[in-house]
Amino acid sequence: MRSCLFILIAWACAGEALAADFTADFSSANQSYARGKYSEAATAYEKILQAGVVSPNLLFNYGSAEFKAGNPGKSIAAFRDAELLAPRDADIRANLGFVRSQVQGATLHESRWQDWFGQLTLNEWTLLATAALWLTFLILAAKQYRPALAPKLGSAGGLFICLTILFGAVAGLQAVEHFSRQSAVVVSDAVTRSGPFDDAQNAFAVHDGAELSVVDQHGDWVQVADGSGRTGWLSTRQVELIPGA
Amino acid sequence: MITAGHAASFTATLDRDSISLGESATLSLSFQGAQPNNVPTPDIPGLQIVNSGTSQNVSYINGAMNATVTVTFSVTPQRTGKFTIPAMRADINGEQITSQPIELTVAAANAPSAAAVNSGSQVAFMKLVLPQQKVYVGETLAAELQIYLRDDVRSIANFQMISSPADGFVVGKNAQGARFQTQAGGRNYTVIPLSIALTVTRSGDLSLGPFNASLIIFVPSQNQGGDPFFSQFFNQGDQKEVTLTTEATSAQSLPLPTGNVPKNFNGAIGDYTMSVTAGPTNVTVGDPITVHVQISGRGALDAIRMPDQSAWNDFKIFAPTTKTEISDSLGQAGTKTFEEIVTPQSATVHELPEFSFSFFNPDDGQYHTLKQPPERLMVRAGGVTPMPAIAANKNSAQESQAPQDVLPIKQELGTLTAASGPLILRPSFLAVQALPVIAFVAAFVWRKRTDNLANNPRLRRQRLVAQLVEMGIGDLKKCAVENSPETFFTTLFRLLQEQLGERLDCPASAITEAVVDDLATGGASEELLGEVRELFQLCNQARYAPIRGSEELNSVAAKFEKVAHELQSLSL
Repeated sequence: MRSCLFILIAWACAGEALAADFTADFSSANQSYARGKYSEAATAYEKILQAGVVSPNLLFNYGSAEFKAGNPGKSIAAFRDAELLAPRDADIRANLGFVRSQVQGATLHESRWQDWFGQLTLNEWTLLATAALWLTFLILAAKQYRPALAPKLGSAGGLFICLTILFGAVAGLQAVEHFSRQSAVVVSDAVTRSGPFDDAQNAFAVHDGAELSVVDQHGDWVQVADGSGRTGWLSTRQVELIPGA
Repeated sequence: MITAGHAASFTATLDRDSISLGESATLSLSFQGAQPNNVPTPDIPGLQIVNSGTSQNVSYINGAMNATVTVTFSVTPQRTGKFTIPAMRADINGEQITSQPIELTVAAANAPSAAAVNSGSQVAFMKLVLPQQKVYVGETLAAELQIYLRDDVRSIANFQMISSPADGFVVGKNAQGARFQTQAGGRNYTVIPLSIALTVTRSGDLSLGPFNASLIIFVPSQNQGGDPFFSQFFNQGDQKEVTLTTEATSAQSLPLPTGNVPKNFNGAIGDYTMSVTAGPTNVTVGDPITVHVQISGRGALDAIRMPDQSAWNDFKIFAPTTKTEISDSLGQAGTKTFEEIVTPQSATVHELPEFSFSFFNPDDGQYHTLKQPPERLMVRAGGVTPMPAIAANKNSAQESQAPQDVLPIKQELGTLTAASGPLILRPSFLAVQALPVIAFVAAFVWRKRTDNLANNPRLRRQRLVAQLVEMGIGDLKKCAVENSPETFFTTLFRLLQEQLGERLDCPASAITEAVVDDLATGGASEELLGEVRELFQLCNQARYAPIRGSEELNSVAAKFEKVAHELQSLSL
C-alpha cells in the first residue's frame, strides 16, 4: 500500500517536472503567436508535442497557430486531438467549428444520429450504460433483500433495464464507430486518385481541411470517402489520420 | 585414355582465313599423340568464340596407333578488321606444346549487285527502303526492311539482326508486315516486309544502314535420289546460313522553321486532332471541374505535353494525369489523354478559358494550332457552415453574430494528460462491473435460503433448538461456576427435553426418560442412549440430593455438550 502511494506521488511529481521543463518553450511559442509569427509558433508547439508532452491547452494553441498560418487541415486535426482529451471544452469546440466553417469544398458531414450520439464521448456513453446497469442490479438485489420494497421498486427497475439497453446500444454503436471508422483530415489541397498509385486517374479534388472517412488502407495510401459517397485514394502524406471519436 | 607411339603435337587451324561480317569460321584445335590435360580457349575482343564439339580419330598404320583429338570452335566476328588468334599452349602428357598464331580477316558484307538481283541468282537478299529523303528534327517515320526469299526456299529460321547503324536516327520498335510476291530474273520471290520506327534526332545529313542480318534457310537437297514422290515428303533439304546486307541510304534532316512559330508551341511534331471536354459546369467556388484533353494522331506521342494554360489565372490547377493509347504496332499513332482537375477561385468566373494546342506537321512543313473555344461556367459563391450550437456564445446579444476568428490562445500549459483509451478496453473497469451482479446473486441466494427456512417448520425448529442448546451450554457453564446446582439441573433437563423433542418431532414437554429408547430407530448407539439416560437420572437425583461441586457440574455440562452434538448429527 505504501509502495503504491509512493509510485503515485513519484508519477505526479514527474508530471509536474515535465510540465515545468516545457513551460518556458510554451511561453516562447505563445510570444511568437502574439507577435503574429504563426508558422514559427506552430513549429514550436509541434516541437513540444513531439517531445511527448500533451495537454488540451497545448493542442488548442497549436491548432490556433496552424489555422493562422493558413493550414486549416492541420488545425482541425489538432483541435480534434484536443477534443479527445477534453471532450466538454467549449473553447475547443468553438474553434473547431469556426475552422471547419472556413474550409472550402465538400467535406464529411455526420448524419443526424451520429451528430446526436457525438454529443457524448464513447467513455461517457459507457459510463451512462454502466451506471444504469449498476442501478438495475442494485434494485434487483434490494427486491431480494426486502421483498416488501418490490412494488415500489418495480417501475424503477423496468426503467433502468430500458436505460441500460438504450445506453448500452448507443455505447456499442459508438464503439463500432471508434474501432472501425477512422477519419482523415486533408492537410493540403490534393486530387484523389482512382487507385493507390501515383499514375492512377484523378477521382476528385479535396481541399485543405476537408474531413473524410477512411475506407481502406494500402501501404502509404488511404482510400477515403467524402460526404457524397465519392471514394478515392490519397497518399498518407496528404492527410492526418484521426481515430474514431 | 588415348596413348600413341607418335610424338605429341598441337595445331590450330581455321577453315577460312577471310570471311564477311555476319559469317562464321570454324577454328579447330588438334591434339595428336594423346588427350590434352587442358584445352585452351582463345579470348579475342571482336570475335565471339563458342565451343561447338570434340571428335576423336584413332588409326593404326603399320601396327603403330595414331590418335587425334580435335576440339572445334565457331568463330563469329562482331566487327570488320584483321584479327590474330594468338599462339596457344596445351599440356599433353606433361609436355607443354604451343600452336602457331593464325590470322582472320573480316570484311564488310556487301549487298548483292543489281545485276545479281535482277538475274534471279540470289537465293535471298535484303533491301532497306526509306520513304522520304527530307525529314525534320523530331519527326517520326518508318523505314522498311524487305527480305526477299527465292521460290526454292522452303522455310527460314533464326533471323538475327547483326548490325543496324543509324546516324541521326533513334531506332524504335519494329513490326512485320504482310508478305507479298514479286519477280526478279524470271524467278518468283516472297517478300517479307519489316517496318522499323525511326525518330530524327538532329539536323544535317543522316545515314541509315547498311543493315546486316543472318538467317538460316532450308532449300531442297542437291543430292536427292530416290523416288521424287516420296522425296517431297521426306527430303528435308539442305540447311544454309546466309548473311543479308542492304545498301546504305541517306536523308537530309531540316531544323524546324523559325518563322511563324505559335506562342504556345511546346515541341509537338506530327499530325494531330484535339478534343476537350469539361464538367460539371454548374459549380460552387472551390468545387472541382474535370477537364479531359484528348490529342489523337500520328507522331511522337510521348513528347506531347499538356497545352499551355497561362490564361487560367482564376483557377487552381492540379497536376494532370496522362494516359497514352497506341493504335499502331510501331507506337507512332494513337491518342494521348490528359485529365486535369481545376477549381474556380471566385464567383466572378463565368467560363473556362480557350484551350489551344500547336504542333508542327512535317508533311506540309507548317505549324498548326488547334483551338477549343471558351466554355460557359456557372459558379456560385461558397456557403458558410453554421457554428455548432455548443460553440455559440452564451451572450444572447452576440448569438446572431458569427465568429470572425479563432478564440485567443491559452496562456497556461495546463494539466498534462494522455489520451486514455476507451473504458471498455480496461480490464479493471470490466472487472468492477461484476460487483452489482455479484450483489444481486448474493441477495438472491440469501432470499432462497430464507424462503426455504420459512416453509420448513421442522428445519426452523432444528435451527432454533441448536441455537437454544448453544446458549444453554453457556448457561450451564455459568451455573457450574456459580455452583448453583438447582438452576443447573433445571436448565439441563429443559435442554434435554428441547433437543430430544426436536429430534423425535414431538413437544418438548412430553419428553421423559421413557422416550430415550425411541432414539434407537434413528441409529443412536447404545453408548449414546446410556449417556442420555444418565443425564436424565442425574437431573432426577438432583431433586433429592442437590448439593454438588462446581467441578462435577462442569463435567456434567461437558457431557451434555457432547451428547447434544451427537444427537444433532443423528438422521432422524
